[in-house]
Amino acid sequence: MARAQKPKQSRRPQAKSLKQNNLRGFAKRQSLKSQRSSKYSESSDVYEYQPENVRRSKVKLQLEKDELDGARRDISGSEDEDDGPKRNGLRPRLVGENDDEGGLGSDEDEEIDSDEAFDESDEERFAGFNFSTKTKSVAKRKPQKRSLQSRTVPLIDLNEDEVELEEAPSENASASEGEDSAADDEEEGDPEDFIDVLDMIDGKGPAESADEGEHTQKEERPSASKARVEGDDVPHLEDEDEDMHDEEDEGISSDESEEDESHISPMDDAISASGDEDDDVGTSLHDLQSFITNLDAGQKRKAPDDEAAPTTETGEARRQKRRMLKERTEAGEENEFAPHRGATKLNLDDLLNPLASSSSNLLSLKKSAKILTSISAKNQTLSAPLPQRTQERLDREAAYQQTKEEVDKWSATMKKIKEAEHLSFPLQAQPAGRTSNLELAAKFKPTTELESAVDRLLKSAKMREEDIAQTESLKMNHLSVEEVSARRAELAKMRELMFRAEAKAKRVAKIKSKTYRRIKKKEKAKIAAKLGEGSDDEDMNEETRMKHEVERARERATLKHKNTGKWAKAMRARGDLDEDQRRDISEMLSRGEKLRRRIQGIGSGDESEEGEDDTEDDEEGAADRIKASAFEELAQLDKGSEGEEDSGRKGKSIFEMKFMKDAIARDQQRAKQMADDFVREMGESNHEDDEDDELTGGRIEESSGATIERVGGRVTYRPGAQLRTVNSLASDTSSITLRSNDLPSDVARSVTPSATSPIPEKLGIATEAPNPWLAPRQDPAKAVPKKHEIAVSKDSASVEKSKNKLRKKAQKHEEEQSKARNDAAVDISMSNVMTLGDNSSAGPSKPKTRSQSGNQRDDGDDDSDVHSEVEEQERLLDRKGKGKANGVKAFEQRDLVARAFAGDNVVRDFAEAKRREMQEDAPKEVDTTLPGWGSWGGTGTRKAQPKPHLIKKVAGVDPTTRADYKKAHVIISEKRDKKAAKYMVKDLPYPYTSKAQFERSMDIPIGTEWNTRVGFQRGTLPKIVTKPGTVINPLEKLL
Amino acid sequence: MVKISVLQHAPSTHLPARPGDPTPTSRNLDPLMHPFARARERTRALNAVKMERIFAKPFIAALEGHVDAVETMARKPGTLNVVASGSWDGGMIGKISGVCFADEDRLLTCGVDRNVKLWDTREVDENGAGPSDVRKPLNVFPGKSAFNSIDHHRTDPIFATASNIVQIWDETKSAPISNLSFPTSIETISAIKFNLSESSVLASIGSDRTFTLYDIRTGKAERRIVMQMRSNALSWSPTFPTTILLASEDHNLYTFDIRSLKTPSQIYKAHVAAVMSCDWSPTGHQFVSGGWDRTVRIWQEGRGTAPEVYHTKRMQRVTSTLFTSDAKYVLSGSDDGNIRIWKARAHEKLGILDSRERAAIEYRESLKQKWKTDAQVNKISRTRHIPKPVHKAGQLKRTMLEAQRVKEERRRKHTRAGESKPTAEKRKVVIAEQS
Repeated sequence: MARAQKPKQSRRPQAKSLKQNNLRGFAKRQSLKSQRSSKYSESSDVYEYQPENVRRSKVKLQLEKDELDGARRDISGSEDEDDGPKRNGLRPRLVGENDDEGGLGSDEDEEIDSDEAFDESDEERFAGFNFSTKTKSVAKRKPQKRSLQSRTVPLIDLNEDEVELEEAPSENASASEGEDSAADDEEEGDPEDFIDVLDMIDGKGPAESADEGEHTQKEERPSASKARVEGDDVPHLEDEDEDMHDEEDEGISSDESEEDESHISPMDDAISASGDEDDDVGTSLHDLQSFITNLDAGQKRKAPDDEAAPTTETGEARRQKRRMLKERTEAGEENEFAPHRGATKLNLDDLLNPLASSSSNLLSLKKSAKILTSISAKNQTLSAPLPQRTQERLDREAAYQQTKEEVDKWSATMKKIKEAEHLSFPLQAQPAGRTSNLELAAKFKPTTELESAVDRLLKSAKMREEDIAQTESLKMNHLSVEEVSARRAELAKMRELMFRAEAKAKRVAKIKSKTYRRIKKKEKAKIAAKLGEGSDDEDMNEETRMKHEVERARERATLKHKNTGKWAKAMRARGDLDEDQRRDISEMLSRGEKLRRRIQGIGSGDESEEGEDDTEDDEEGAADRIKASAFEELAQLDKGSEGEEDSGRKGKSIFEMKFMKDAIARDQQRAKQMADDFVREMGESNHEDDEDDELTGGRIEESSGATIERVGGRVTYRPGAQLRTVNSLASDTSSITLRSNDLPSDVARSVTPSATSPIPEKLGIATEAPNPWLAPRQDPAKAVPKKHEIAVSKDSASVEKSKNKLRKKAQKHEEEQSKARNDAAVDISMSNVMTLGDNSSAGPSKPKTRSQSGNQRDDGDDDSDVHSEVEEQERLLDRKGKGKANGVKAFEQRDLVARAFAGDNVVRDFAEAKRREMQEDAPKEVDTTLPGWGSWGGTGTRKAQPKPHLIKKVAGVDPTTRADYKKAHVIISEKRDKKAAKYMVKDLPYPYTSKAQFERSMDIPIGTEWNTRVGFQRGTLPKIVTKPGTVINPLEKLL
Repeated sequence: MVKISVLQHAPSTHLPARPGDPTPTSRNLDPLMHPFARARERTRALNAVKMERIFAKPFIAALEGHVDAVETMARKPGTLNVVASGSWDGGMIGKISGVCFADEDRLLTCGVDRNVKLWDTREVDENGAGPSDVRKPLNVFPGKSAFNSIDHHRTDPIFATASNIVQIWDETKSAPISNLSFPTSIETISAIKFNLSESSVLASIGSDRTFTLYDIRTGKAERRIVMQMRSNALSWSPTFPTTILLASEDHNLYTFDIRSLKTPSQIYKAHVAAVMSCDWSPTGHQFVSGGWDRTVRIWQEGRGTAPEVYHTKRMQRVTSTLFTSDAKYVLSGSDDGNIRIWKARAHEKLGILDSRERAAIEYRESLKQKWKTDAQVNKISRTRHIPKPVHKAGQLKRTMLEAQRVKEERRRKHTRAGESKPTAEKRKVVIAEQS
């Protein structure tokens, strides 16, 4: 394969050079060929009949690839902007290189294929060399190569065509055009490449790699193929270097060595290669042999070109370079027509090549550099590092931004603090958490003797928390799963219940209601009693009995049941009692009552209780009952006496004796009288007994022992010791009629507010405010019936009331209508009035004021109030005069007014006052010359002009600048009010934005006198509160 | 039976609900019913402000002991009653230039003897030395040049020193763990402080009129500003972590927001000589400053004028000031070797207050606040009697500034219109902001 490749490549430059009808190269080649053919018949064979060569056909695919790569490398390595000539110029170099590297071309491209894996590349290389099948598979594995291949196929074809030299340029041009874009890209990329590698070496790779990555991403978009090309190029560079140093050099050296050595070096190469390889160890020796022979052939063919034959390997390498240069020069000679050739860029490799084998450090360095470059998908230069100071400044900038961001996290907190109405320091105080019982129990350690004793006991009894838990766990050990779960559930339930009970107890303990407590106490007592009864009924032992006795004795001793005690008397003497005392008294009475009942034997416990309840519930009913019982008793007494009489008649005894009888009769009489009196006293309202009816002569108006009188709408209560019978006249209706005569009008109004309430009138016509002085009295005849009608009985039916209301409404409406009519009539009667006014000697000011007021009316209402007063009054008068108000009456009224305000020239006075005020305030000059001083006296002296320094100027207020200038009806004082000045500020104070705002804030007082308690506290709360003796720590980040 | 009806008597309406409560009063709160409310309150405000002046007795005590100027003071964290002070009379070795507490028990000092020393401040230290014995430092950190300031990190065992560079030290290592300096700076760092809330942020001031910001996380000097005049002290606000206060040589104090160092956020003008020290109140709403003019001034944050002034006849130039951590007291160390304790609010009543008294005080305070716009009230509250030299210096300063202003105005008037605009005071402070 190498052999096949080599001739082709060697031929290629010549073909290119011959493109421009230059047959010199061709002749040379021919001569060379002839030389070669003379030396080796085989080689000539190889050269001439490549397609026919079996081996070549076998390797064909691979070869293509190789070639392609070789071509690509050319393009990348050399800067050819132009198409044809440039390429031609390049060819020689390519030839030279390829001459040396013979079989290495394939190697390189394989490595390009797989950048990452060295082994693989090696493998492929060998595959490329030896086994076509393998290379094929590799080719398949790397489909991305295809496009490139396809693109470069024509080039290869061109190269292969030796004969069609004429066609070559055009085709080549097309091909180069196709690659042009790629080439351009490379041009861009190439310089970067170099620096990139340098950077990598400097150790600045990683920083740039990211950048590069971005770049590649960007660039991959437009054309994948392009990216691929570039990607290929990257390793290509290094591959070249590496190969040169690693393996190829050996090969090259072998190439360049003389024939005797030639056999050994390729062998070495092959062996080393095989050593790298895994699978291809078992290849046939034959193939190897043939390969070697091929190489040999190539060498042999090239050998004549070389002049020297160095022995050492380094020397060989150097010589190779030298030869390369030589070749190049040769190419240059050839390429006189390609002026750009000299502009080929210097490669890093070119520089490093001389050092290739010298230092192992460099090798390792390169390897690392290669890895770095292989990581970055695209070849791109890192930008040159900034000067250190700039770099540091940027770093600082970035760091400052970072710090700013960090610090900025506080801004919300700071804002909150700034805007807070009230701050209580320390701000971040830990809230005092409430300790739970469990917590306390866990912390508890016995300190006192008692505690330790209890603890010991608990310990000995194994009742402490941990012991219980332990026993529980021990128990659990022997139980099955179900049992355990059941036990757990039970415990949980218990706990839950306990918790609830605790919660409930807490809630109940909080209740403050006294009644609730009382009820509770009673309940408790009841329960206790029940329990006690159950036990004590049978054997009420001595002790309890004694206790009861003692209690009774004490009760008696306290005299709580009697109202004859000292305390009770004092209480009775005291008039006003407070609640407690009253309660005590009532208790005492009830107790006494109870005891009395007991003595009488009536009250069993239940009854007494009932009685108590009754009294509490309705005292009234109780009183009735008592009364009833009393009456019954009386009746019985009567009956008894009668019965006795009957029985007395029958029996014979001392009682039947006359004096005794008389005495008894007298007694009975007295008793009866007493009973009667009693009955009468009690009243028979409750009992409609006939006998009682007879007893009471008339109706007695006396129910509560107090007399109610109603005089003039006012009800008076008087202590009613005396009985007073009320006239039947008044009492045939239960209601009390209010007489109109008795009632003042306000009462009537209060009874029916809508009737004569002054509000609607006021609202209706504001100007009609009645002037008591001016308004003529209304007819009393009209007023009186109105008053009469107001009289409505208190208890009269609602129908009546509403009727009354209606009537009143109607009346009012009528009134209003009449008023309106009068208003309308005013205009008509106005002239009449006027003439009358003129005729009369109403006063000098009158007509004038009228006219003035008329004008002012036109002007507007704002300044009419002062001047139009008189007019207004007159108008009012007119209205009041109404329809029936004839000229005479109006005149009388006017006259009256005129007389009343005679000489009261308000307007004129006002104008005069204002003028005076203005004059006072006006700026003036005061002559302070003292007469007789500084001047001549005597007769004939002329009066000197006042000296200017003696004229004092008083800066007043110019009349035109006054606030009331051109405002005839007001005087606005320009004098400074000292008392008010205290409350004035020059400017609006700082935080306020408007006058109103400030006014408002100053308006509201903050003292307790003008605020509620809470309002005061809120208003005076200071903004910052610190507690003495409390450490305030700076704000902390709470995470 | 007689039915007795009595007048309703509900004690709850006019008796206190609980014992100790004030008796409920019913008042008509209709403002129309109180036409003289404003006048009455004004009178009360006037009285309140007069009372304030009457009871303004701020001086509490003077602590003697130093024989030379008290250069630095530091409060012990977590306690109110312990303060450390460093003075020029540092014995044989020269002045103590920086003091700070490492934690509750240990104290760090630095001085011109080029050493940072770590001390045990407990009553009886590890070596058994009592309060009267001469103690030996727990540790000594040797430096290369004299130290001017020291500050400890709030949480970590790290401290920073200022000499010609800023150095960060670990308490357990004898050599600094890192050096921070702004490149091309050859100044002497005069003071250094860690931020209290954002504790990795560090600030320093230097003799080159600079203020520099560092971050120990990035390990860099991040930003530097050069000002008109050098600063003498700096302090970070405890409640506003972005705010830093600088006490400048030009008689002013400046607060800066470190997020924008171009201009100060506020200028505080009242001292009539260089401000030598400053310290924030723990509330962050006040700060104290001590000046070369022999006065201590207490400022309200955000209010650039009319601070409270403290002075005594014998107090010399105030070289260090400190707020106690309950924000109630102020300490000032001066050239005369004394440390004086002052109340932070001159008229505040010390001791226990009952609720009524507190309510009355609060009412008075709010009245003063409300009526401060009143000329009379304002005048009384503003007036201070200050030593004659201070007063004269103030007058002179005012005259000079006025003359300057007038000159500037005239100059502007006679240049072409619009050529030069008046610069705001705030813009004049910072000459350059360097990154």
